[in-house]
Amino acid sequence: MTTPPTPRPHRIALAAKGLRVQRGQGSSRFTLDVAALDLRAGEVLVILGPNGAGKSTLLRALAGLESSADPHSIQGGSGPVTLVFQRPAAFAGSAQHNVRVALLGKGLTEADRSDRIARALTRFDIAHLADQEARTLSGGEMRRLALARAFVLEPEVLLLDEPFDDLDAEGQRQLSLDLQRAITETDVAVAMVTHDLRRALLLADRIAVLMRGKLVQQGPREEVLQRPNSREIARTVGMTNLAEGRVVRREEEIYWVEISDGLEVPTRAKLEIGRDAWIGIRPEHLKIDIGRGDGRPIGKAEVESLVSDGLATVVTLRTRDRMFSTHLLSGRGLARRLRSGDAVSLAVRPEHVHARLID
Amino acid sequence: MNEAEARLVVEITFRTLWVCGAALVTALAIGIPIGIALGGRRFAGRSLVVSTVNAGMGAPPVVVGLGCSILFSRSGLLGGLGLIYSQTGMIIAQTLIAVPLVIGITLAAVGSLDEEWDLQVRTLGIRRIFRLWLLVRQIRMGLLAAVIAALGGILSEVGASSMVGGNLLGKTRVLTTAIMMETNMGNFERAGGLALILIGLTFLIAGLLTAVQQSGRTR
Amino acid sequence: MPFVSNSGTTACLDDRARVRGTPLRKAAATIAIASLLGLFAQASARAEASEPALILATTTSLRDSGLLDALLPDFTEQTGIEVQIIAVGTGAALRMGREGNADILITHAPSAEQELIEAGVVRRRTPFMQNFFVIAGPVEDPADIASAASPVDALRRIATSKANWVSRSDDSGTHKRETSLFEAAGIAADADWKGFDRTGSGMGLSLRVAGEHRAYILSDIGTFLAFQKRIDLVVLSKSADSLRNVYSILQLDASRFERPLASDAADSLERFLTRAEIQNRIAHYGEERFGRPLFTPLHPHPQSAGEGGHVEQASPP
Repeated sequence: MTTPPTPRPHRIALAAKGLRVQRGQGSSRFTLDVAALDLRAGEVLVILGPNGAGKSTLLRALAGLESSADPHSIQGGSGPVTLVFQRPAAFAGSAQHNVRVALLGKGLTEADRSDRIARALTRFDIAHLADQEARTLSGGEMRRLALARAFVLEPEVLLLDEPFDDLDAEGQRQLSLDLQRAITETDVAVAMVTHDLRRALLLADRIAVLMRGKLVQQGPREEVLQRPNSREIARTVGMTNLAEGRVVRREEEIYWVEISDGLEVPTRAKLEIGRDAWIGIRPEHLKIDIGRGDGRPIGKAEVESLVSDGLATVVTLRTRDRMFSTHLLSGRGLARRLRSGDAVSLAVRPEHVHARLID
Repeated sequence: MNEAEARLVVEITFRTLWVCGAALVTALAIGIPIGIALGGRRFAGRSLVVSTVNAGMGAPPVVVGLGCSILFSRSGLLGGLGLIYSQTGMIIAQTLIAVPLVIGITLAAVGSLDEEWDLQVRTLGIRRIFRLWLLVRQIRMGLLAAVIAALGGILSEVGASSMVGGNLLGKTRVLTTAIMMETNMGNFERAGGLALILIGLTFLIAGLLTAVQQSGRTR
Repeated sequence: MPFVSNSGTTACLDDRARVRGTPLRKAAATIAIASLLGLFAQASARAEASEPALILATTTSLRDSGLLDALLPDFTEQTGIEVQIIAVGTGAALRMGREGNADILITHAPSAEQELIEAGVVRRRTPFMQNFFVIAGPVEDPADIASAASPVDALRRIATSKANWVSRSDDSGTHKRETSLFEAAGIAADADWKGFDRTGSGMGLSLRVAGEHRAYILSDIGTFLAFQKRIDLVVLSKSADSLRNVYSILQLDASRFERPLASDAADSLERFLTRAEIQNRIAHYGEERFGRPLFTPLHPHPQSAGEGGHVEQASPP
């Protein structure tokens, strides 16, 4: 896990206050209700949430495309706000033409236009496709074209709906790099909706979690990832090791929560002995204890399965009445030695255990 | 065929091109904007309007001709305009026949666009006039189909042209009405010759349009 | 079976989509098409099955008068012969005769008929009824033809004053008469002045044009009466020899043609039309609708003596 970037105080490029959107009729009615949301220049806000939570609707509302929203609920700067759709439209014509249309009628000279188009295409590494018919481009190439088209506007706010959809791992990685560079170079404010949690975590400066049309948590990346307000949010942000239990004892600033027979989890959260609480541990923080002293031991488990995608191995662990998962680097040490059925000890650092009292 | 007859054939051919061309251009000028306007958005009563357009597409041209000849006649509502047995009257009748076709096909072309198309264009901050241009470019092939269909309908039309035009020598005689007349008179060779010219014209124009269509595809 | 896609949406293979290709639908379509084809085959078979058919080529103006529709059902009832009427322009009807595409002709263009006789195409011509052409025009009569001495004089007045005139110009019987009248009046055949319209079309359409343009026009009486109210024109000419319009039955020489002609049936029709009883009916035809008859019978001698007017039963070919 990379270290989080130092938070920089940025100017607000777009601010939504009391944003309400109504869609559909009767039983299929959907309401989006966002009390407050800021987009800051040079910052990437990733919007997470389950299907149907209203993420795309939120992007459209921020882009000013939702007619039911009160226009005053969105305050923007003077610059362009543009949205790149999940399925970007390929206009009839060459890739270059597709980028050019974004600049029509905006008072630029032909020389200016050509210049900006060339730079936009190069920025996303598709200059060699300039004369190709846009409708014949592959999915990945079309995504790049859509981004080039968006950036050629020199937008102040960029909204991205599933920009990594349909790309393979390498394509995603490359696009992610190019996008990151473009964001840094242009200082654009970005809000991105994506299902790919890993990709999101790499790019996010801030995270907002949307559920059933409501903004349930937003904040700097680490804060949302490490300290989700509810178990539902925890699952959404990838904190998959969740359990309920009772606070049984305390050692100095560390509280111990007993979550089942033989399993006790240490946490630095402020709890009360005797109360019920739930705990959450991100998979990358749950350790298999090999005696290196990395974290406090919490109990025993059996290896259920190991699944590798070449980069990381997800190890599913079974205890008597629950399952946990952890991540290991593929192909090295532990990942190579572990087999299904092995008995292991689990450990975790108290600062990595998120806990909340249950009322 | 002697010289006088040849000149007559040329005159009839040019008149056919003028009347049909004027009707085609008018039908496109009216039908395409309406088709685009209807195709794009949802509004109350849309299905009613679309059904009417579809009915219009299927309306027999001779019925349109009958309606027009009644309207344009002396005792009809538009009698004072002197449209009966005139080229203008024929152009109006042929335009009325072609407009539903043009609207219907344009509607379908616009409808085949992705639902979000308009939103995607708007989000690029493109001004209205350029959005229209982009739309037309996008449905170019569909529009071409509308042109070809309308042209076919207009060039081959004989019933309305006869009723509204009257096949008057030197004034409203066109290839189709002339072919019918020659056939009725028993001059099958002459009729055949005129038919060949009409077919030739149709092939020529259709061929030109197809060439445009194909070149659009490879670009 | 549900599956989960990348974007997390669940989708089900729609089992209902398979119904589109079910055997049931295909069977229904096949039955529908087969029935339609069957219907068409039946209809065309029935049309051909009613033998014997006598093909009568005649002019549109005669057909439009309705006389044939009034008389021919009785002919069919008495003889069992179905008559198929092909009504086209005079020129086309005569051409059908020339090419043997009809079994019998009824036309009213004497000089053209004479040509066919001289060419040996027509073996017998029997004039059987007549009426008079009329020169109709607006009641205002700007060329004052009501006081003309003769139809030829009337046309002269029209040409001199360049009044509106509508000509069928389609080689029909009416048009041929108009041409000979023009010639007699000293007007060039290709005369043209503003207000001179050539329609190349049938009597009905030409009358309508005349009505719209408030023009003079030469017309057969039957069609004119049928259109009179609608076009607001009146008859301005008086009956004269030059306007006499004689209708003749033309029998073709079967030996000239490869296709066998129903000559017996044709003779039978001629006998029918020239019978005294039918000739009397012709004398009154039109009174009910127009208040006056459209035709005057000529009472020609019946072709075969027979027994005072009885029609022999025609033997089926």
